[in-house]
Amino acid sequence: MKNIYKPIEATIEDIIVETSTIKTFVLRTSESFEFKTGQFVELTLPGIGEAPFTPSSDPNLKDKIEITIMNVGRVTSLLHNITKNTSLGIRGPYGKGYPLEQFEGKDVLTVGGGVGLAPLRSFLFSLFGDIDKYNKVVLRYGARTPNDIMYKESLLSWSKKKKVDVVTTVDVGDSSWKGNVGLVTTILKDLPVDLKKAISVVCGPPIMMKFVTLKLLDLGFKPSDIYLSMEKNMSCGLGKCGHCRIGRYYVCRDGPVFTYEMLKDIPDIWE
Amino acid sequence: MNIYYIQTSKLNDFVSRFKKNHNVFSPYIKDPAVKEKDYFYKKSADTEPPLFNAYRVVEPLKSFFTYPDEKVTEYFSTGKNITDLVEKTIIFGIKSCDIVGHKIQDFVFLEGAEVDSLYRLRRENTIFISGDCTDFKEVCHCLAWDILPHPLLGFDLNLSPLNEGYLVEVGSIKGEELIQLGKEYFVQAKETQISARKTKRDNLIERLKKHLLPQNLVSKDTVQKLVREGYNLDTWHNFMLTCVECGGCNLICDTCHCFLLADKKENQINSKLKIWDSCLYANYARVAGGANPLKTRTRRLRNRFMKKFDFFVDNLGMPACCGCGRCIEVCPGKIDIREVLKDLAKKVTVKA
Repeated sequence: MKNIYKPIEATIEDIIVETSTIKTFVLRTSESFEFKTGQFVELTLPGIGEAPFTPSSDPNLKDKIEITIMNVGRVTSLLHNITKNTSLGIRGPYGKGYPLEQFEGKDVLTVGGGVGLAPLRSFLFSLFGDIDKYNKVVLRYGARTPNDIMYKESLLSWSKKKKVDVVTTVDVGDSSWKGNVGLVTTILKDLPVDLKKAISVVCGPPIMMKFVTLKLLDLGFKPSDIYLSMEKNMSCGLGKCGHCRIGRYYVCRDGPVFTYEMLKDIPDIWE
Repeated sequence: MNIYYIQTSKLNDFVSRFKKNHNVFSPYIKDPAVKEKDYFYKKSADTEPPLFNAYRVVEPLKSFFTYPDEKVTEYFSTGKNITDLVEKTIIFGIKSCDIVGHKIQDFVFLEGAEVDSLYRLRRENTIFISGDCTDFKEVCHCLAWDILPHPLLGFDLNLSPLNEGYLVEVGSIKGEELIQLGKEYFVQAKETQISARKTKRDNLIERLKKHLLPQNLVSKDTVQKLVREGYNLDTWHNFMLTCVECGGCNLICDTCHCFLLADKKENQINSKLKIWDSCLYANYARVAGGANPLKTRTRRLRNRFMKKFDFFVDNLGMPACCGCGRCIEVCPGKIDIREVLKDLAKKVTVKA
């Protein structure tokens, strides 16, 4: 019988420095490991600890998986200090992921804040791989400073793609920054989307998701057309350990992607 | 299902037969001098007869299936499977509240997308021998949740004391098979015995009702509405004031199931541990970076009630409380689940 708590081995093939606090780990798993975009995994630092992450790579790449990690806590700070060829454990994938089939034919507005662009990169790769199915892809991304912008080259190449529209903003600019300065909500004006056939996908820190959601509602998005990534302190990933409850849901089992419609009547969701 | 009769002395012989290849657990009284005696579980020695407990034991039934701190898997090594070590177990002294509360554990660990294989193996290798309650503790309030003080389902065998023996009701195929292994000890129960059982059961229910009626407890069908509408009331804050965050209420609760999955390295072997967690602990909901949706004790106390009376009503159609009162007895801050709900009821009605 399968032991649901046992991780499989994944070797770090490469480590890409994205910003001073964010790195992308390129992993090769010892057994086949597939995920749908938006699903998450539990990554184990052997003998030390485990934490949940949403992969940032294209789910169609079968031989490797990339996970972009910000140095914020006990496990992530240790992860930031390890080197290539180290073995990690991986369990999952868990959760439901993005319902891509419901986005077909739509204008897809993607709003990212900070390291929240990591899961969205995987989502965007999925869209780009099948771009004919979607009417338009719009990305609005906010970082704290120009130095905190992740995936700089990708952002540039995405902005040159057909049917794709990218705008980036920073909370605080510097002498080299020519773009918008202000929170991500300041670049949600005059969006090139048709509200009658638009959906929005939001990922970022809770405070950012809160204000983006309010802004999107204000713009006329229906609560059922706003998809949020609610990442809590998932420990088991299996709906058993109890930690990631929001109202009647477990984030690991019923999410991590929820529509605002599902969450709007639950108190304290942004805490 | 069949109902048999067995004399007390023969029950002892019957049980002794199984001690060779089963761990048999039975209640015992640690301190016979106290007024309201407490029963605890212990592994029953070879010739020791099982003790019939008048009401539920102190330890929750879940403690036979998940442990406060245990290794659930090794990884990156070729050690033997943890699941190879599961032993056959017979548990005496289970009560109706334990069985109902345990539905929550079964729901969590046996259902959903994936099954906890260690839990399942332990469950499959355990025989439940329950018994009618013949008395109750001050904190007992099963009837408030429409749970009777004798089990109707969910046992393998159920014992009802009668004269110099027990009526033994079979509740499962496993139970019937057990009887067949010692059928010379049993006779079919007579109608008069079964009606005598009913009289005894009805008498206890009447006594318990008399105990509970003046308490004016919250009912099963209103409790979800109550915790939802009372979400912003001062009840949570007021009851929190004596909470010392020991987690006792969660750890001793037969429905609470939260655990942390932790990692450990010992002698070059990596393992994952399942460690019981409590939503009253300050770090229960904390995420990397320090944000904590349950940062105040008030929120954590409320969370315990929302999980029991909102989440589980939505997810399983029943509240996660069986009225066993263990959390009331264990709490050093004297926080009484009955009183918290009554306080909400008082204030929610006043508001409406």
